[in-house]
Amino acid sequence: MIVWRVVAACALAAVAAWAGARLYTARHAPALAERGIAVPAGEASAPTFSDLDTAGGVPMPVKIPELLPAFTLADRHGRATSIESWPGKSLVINFWATWCAPCRREIPLLKSVAADWSGRDFQVIGIAVDYPDKVESFARQFAIPYPLLVGEQDALDAAAALGVESPAFPFTVFTDHAGRVVALYLGELHPPQATLILSVVQQINQGKVDMAGGQHLIAAGLAQLQIHPEG
Amino acid sequence: MRTPHSPLPGRLLVLTAACLFAAIACAKPWWVAGNAANGHDFLPPEVAFRVAAHADGARVDVRWIIADGYYLYRSKFEVSAESPGLELGRPAFPPGTVLTDPYFGNQVVYTQQVDLSMPYTRADAGAHPLQIRVTYQGCAVAGLCYPPIVQVLFPDAPAAPVPKQAHPAEAVGILGGIALFFLTGWSFRRTRRLALPAP
Repeated sequence: MIVWRVVAACALAAVAAWAGARLYTARHAPALAERGIAVPAGEASAPTFSDLDTAGGVPMPVKIPELLPAFTLADRHGRATSIESWPGKSLVINFWATWCAPCRREIPLLKSVAADWSGRDFQVIGIAVDYPDKVESFARQFAIPYPLLVGEQDALDAAAALGVESPAFPFTVFTDHAGRVVALYLGELHPPQATLILSVVQQINQGKVDMAGGQHLIAAGLAQLQIHPEG
Repeated sequence: MRTPHSPLPGRLLVLTAACLFAAIACAKPWWVAGNAANGHDFLPPEVAFRVAAHADGARVDVRWIIADGYYLYRSKFEVSAESPGLELGRPAFPPGTVLTDPYFGNQVVYTQQVDLSMPYTRADAGAHPLQIRVTYQGCAVAGLCYPPIVQVLFPDAPAAPVPKQAHPAEAVGILGGIALFFLTGWSFRRTRRLALPAP
């Protein structure tokens, strides 16, 4: 007798769970879809003009790791080069593409960072998500002095490993000399923002501030720059 | 009235702790770019640029809705036939806004909304679903660009079916039916008497 009661109770619980899930998904399908969770709607559908009336507002998902992930890409000469080829240095890793206008606008700033901060053990590395011949031509035209790595899907995989899964450029990753990711700046970098982040990374390297404190300084500083863009 | 041994406060405490934990677990790191670091959020491309198509038997219309602060390049639009027997005419581009870039020069861009309309003919007598392929590329004014996006659209597809709205009575009916089934079986079992042969 007790066995049947247990079976009956389990069946009731399963049915209740199924019914609850069905009710929830039916009522919240649009909200779930906006969050990228597909809810089967019976058959494949195509967006219509009326679907465009409902605007979604989710920000770009970026979830960066604590440590710089290991990856290898070709350099300008086609040689496989690991991102771990600069041990002990703080890296400024700039993802860009030749077709991207803000990426091009950033190049002079990155050149000056490479010149001004190399003496403080900072290394600028460009990662071009593009065709090698276009990158080489561009690099010559703009006289890019820092190392460039080039890739297509493998470079996109590296971007995804750094937390940028929806391809968008430019973005710049800053690490301390131990390979910990201090900050990821999405979008075009400007001199005040670059100076702020680099200064904080230097303080972390010198032990003047810990990682959490440094990240707090960066967030507060960037928020201040957002209010007063001239810095 | 709550008794001194009521488990409610303990349950509330556990519930509050669970909610707090969930909120912390779901919160994005404050230093991630696009949040506190940049001071503004960027949108994923499928949200920044939303597209749909409609066909009326003679023309295909494609509409892009562009989020505030974003734009699409006119020179990057491509529309091509995807389904067999479909031939598309040249789309007519509406006037846009001229954007001057120090490296790319003057570029015509679209903001807010852009509609492309083109004639079409089909030689398959409707044997295949109408499919077109659109390519577009754009950026955020704040300084972020997305690679070209390629998407296949079904202009004559019927409107997406609205997910069936389950009524609470449906769940009650299901649960009640199941419960009734087991109760009936249980009662039959209680009243059943087997005529066993005498030993």
